[in-house]
Amino acid sequence: MSTAPDFDEAEVARLAPGLALALPRTPQRGRVGEVRAASAGSSLELHDFRVYQPGDDLRQMDWNAVARTGELILRVRQDEVSPRLEVLLDGSRSMALSPRKAACARELALLATEVGAHQGLSPTLLVGGARPERVQGQVCRSALRSATFDAKDDLHAALGRLPPLRPCGLRVVVSDFLFEAPLPALVSRLAQGAAALFLVQVLDAEDLEPTGGEGARLVDAESGAALEELLTEEVLAAYARRFAEHQKALGAAAARARAVHLVAPAPQALRTLVAGALRPLFLPAGVA
Amino acid sequence: MSFGFPWGLLALGALVPLVAAYFLRRKQKPVVVSALFLWRTPRPRAEAGPRFERFTREASLLLEALAVVAAALFLADVRLGEDARTRHLVLVVDGSLSLSARGADGRSVLEKVRAEAARRVEEEKATSVTVLASGTVPRVLAGPEAEPSRALAALESFRALGADHDVAPTLLWAQELAGPGRRVHFFTDAPPAEGVAVPAAVRWTALGAPRDNVALVSAWRRDEGSTATVTLRVARFGTGPEETEVRVRARPGPGAKEGTERRERVRLPEEGAATLRFTFENAGDVEVALPADALPEDGEARLPPAPERRVRVALAEGLDAQARSTLERFLAVSPGVEQGPGEGALVVGPRGSDARVTVGAGGAVRTFVGPFFAEKGHPLLDDVQLGGVRWAAGAEAPPGRALMTAGTVVLLSESEGQVHLNVDLARSNVQRTTAWPVLLGNLLREVRRSQEGFPRRQLSLGETLAVVTRPGSRYTLEGPEGTRPLFGAGALSLPPPAVPGRYTLERDGEPVDAVEVLPLDARESDLRGRGEGDRPAQAAGDDEDGGAAPGRARWPLLVLLAALLVDFHITRRTEAK
Repeated sequence: MSTAPDFDEAEVARLAPGLALALPRTPQRGRVGEVRAASAGSSLELHDFRVYQPGDDLRQMDWNAVARTGELILRVRQDEVSPRLEVLLDGSRSMALSPRKAACARELALLATEVGAHQGLSPTLLVGGARPERVQGQVCRSALRSATFDAKDDLHAALGRLPPLRPCGLRVVVSDFLFEAPLPALVSRLAQGAAALFLVQVLDAEDLEPTGGEGARLVDAESGAALEELLTEEVLAAYARRFAEHQKALGAAAARARAVHLVAPAPQALRTLVAGALRPLFLPAGVA
Repeated sequence: MSFGFPWGLLALGALVPLVAAYFLRRKQKPVVVSALFLWRTPRPRAEAGPRFERFTREASLLLEALAVVAAALFLADVRLGEDARTRHLVLVVDGSLSLSARGADGRSVLEKVRAEAARRVEEEKATSVTVLASGTVPRVLAGPEAEPSRALAALESFRALGADHDVAPTLLWAQELAGPGRRVHFFTDAPPAEGVAVPAAVRWTALGAPRDNVALVSAWRRDEGSTATVTLRVARFGTGPEETEVRVRARPGPGAKEGTERRERVRLPEEGAATLRFTFENAGDVEVALPADALPEDGEARLPPAPERRVRVALAEGLDAQARSTLERFLAVSPGVEQGPGEGALVVGPRGSDARVTVGAGGAVRTFVGPFFAEKGHPLLDDVQLGGVRWAAGAEAPPGRALMTAGTVVLLSESEGQVHLNVDLARSNVQRTTAWPVLLGNLLREVRRSQEGFPRRQLSLGETLAVVTRPGSRYTLEGPEGTRPLFGAGALSLPPPAVPGRYTLERDGEPVDAVEVLPLDARESDLRGRGEGDRPAQAAGDDEDGGAAPGRARWPLLVLLAALLVDFHITRRTEAK
């Protein structure tokens, strides 16, 4: 829907150097880096001992153990890797409900890729629009500029079109998560192959507190389905109640998949979001 | 199904705004939302989705439409089955002038007729009424089968000013409208005369009373130059005053600064009329008035100027000297004639020319002293006496239809608007007899009659309205009862006007001529034979069978209320959800 690159790239550039993504503490796989990996490698951290087999690196032979036991014992050390970062941006029409919502989604996705790049996490960006896109590295910025929120279906359906999610250290999903889908199954699928999963829910002011007072023909942003309602206090209260139930279900699904559910109200400035609602994801650089 | 008041169906027009509101409501301001499912109320039949909503709204529309239809049916006084049986009453009111006569109590006969008609409608419980007015041309005042209130309202605005006439055609027409075996109510001011055949189904109600009356029985005005001569005949019917005062007022005409009023007392003979004559100079309309009496309408007349129509006559080249001098002598003394060529002039020419009138003899000339054979009914030969006439005519017969012959020779003929005189004036003495000016006078009279407009400027009630129109133009006749188009060209004879007053002939919207129809009819002014009476219908009708259902049907109201309640229930339930 929205094609204009109306997000504040300068603000993202100002914030990115001072931030670091909250990385998982469990061993991961990845390129050689600073994080301990689950695989055996050449770091100084001892991982295990085992009997020498032909072809093993003789430099890893524990000669003290050989002397004690008379067997060829080999030291197995942990590998040190750099975890991969995958940022998945929901490209459905509802993400462009308002220019601010679209901009906020773009800014968060860009900030995640920029901060990840600073950390050497080799970011990968997936945009689930009508034409799904998967880019890596420096082109993420330009991909976000040209990304359009034009998908007539929700994120759950878009996963079927997107390239398969790859195992990674950190996966950040930016969406409004306002769709009818089996949330536990969706979150479980998003968490698959990722050491850590952050669900960043971008919500517009109208999503959080819709204005009422008159009759309206409510049109679904994605499906185009319409519903005529008189937006009375009772109707708005019913919406708030159902919205709260939806959020509760999303939170429960995230907790079950050991994912972190963060709500980013679009009206708030990016700096405010980073310092507040998104603090669990964007840590100050020194802390990480 | 029938309707007592079909105009009530106009309420169905409310369906238009209702349906429009339905569609407008469906086109509310669109608001895009991220998650429609959060707005939708989950229901057991959620899979039906929007269809359920639509059904609810459409049901509401259908119920509201049903309510409108029910209301329209109630207003239209719908009747079904037995209720649909209506009682149709046909009333005939005498439209002659005498019904405007006042009784001793000051009430006119027509007022009594209105009251009696209303009573009769109420008494018969009529659901539809047709009112006819008798006259030289019967007409419908209300209906056919109008609502009673409308019929009585039409009767209230009716004025009886017609001429004396035969009511039988109106009564027969009324009988046809009423249907076989149904009664017709006729209201007049006199019981039926002996020997008058009254249809068996007619109930004849007379509400008049014998009165004395003084009336104008004729009024005539003639204008010659600037002098207007008004001739009046005043008659006394009954033992009224032996003397009366006639007031004649002449309004100022062109060139006059003020009008003239004259009053003259006149003695009225017991069984006869007194004649009065007044002359005025430069007079416009002349108004005549008698003192008010039982029938004041017949004591008033308005006489507009009635100048004689001028005729232009031109003598063509080729006429022999005898014929020319003879014609010029006649034209010099004939009133209202101008000599010389001009538009519309009557051209008199020699034999064989294309003039309107040809004079001359062809072939061997023979002289006849009689017997002459003439078509007496022809207007050209009115009062033409040929005794003592010596007529010399040529052996060659003029073309056309022979109007007068002597032996085998045609003396006068007519063909396609031309008149041919087969006469050799040098050898005849016809120009020295009375037949000559009478014949030429008739010719000029016919020319005058064929001029556009009304041949007569004043008519009495009941006289046929003659008018002449030109082909190729569109004419209308504007009178007291409105404007109506005239069809046909040439000399037309229209039915007698129903009411007195001024009638104007208009050609393509421009007035051409006017005629005044005076409210004068001696037979209507004679009120001595009027009286009261009620002659019941001779044939028993089936009016007594099957009266109409009292009041309006109630079931449309019940349907209306039920539809509104169910609609309220549905919309209330929808809002609650």
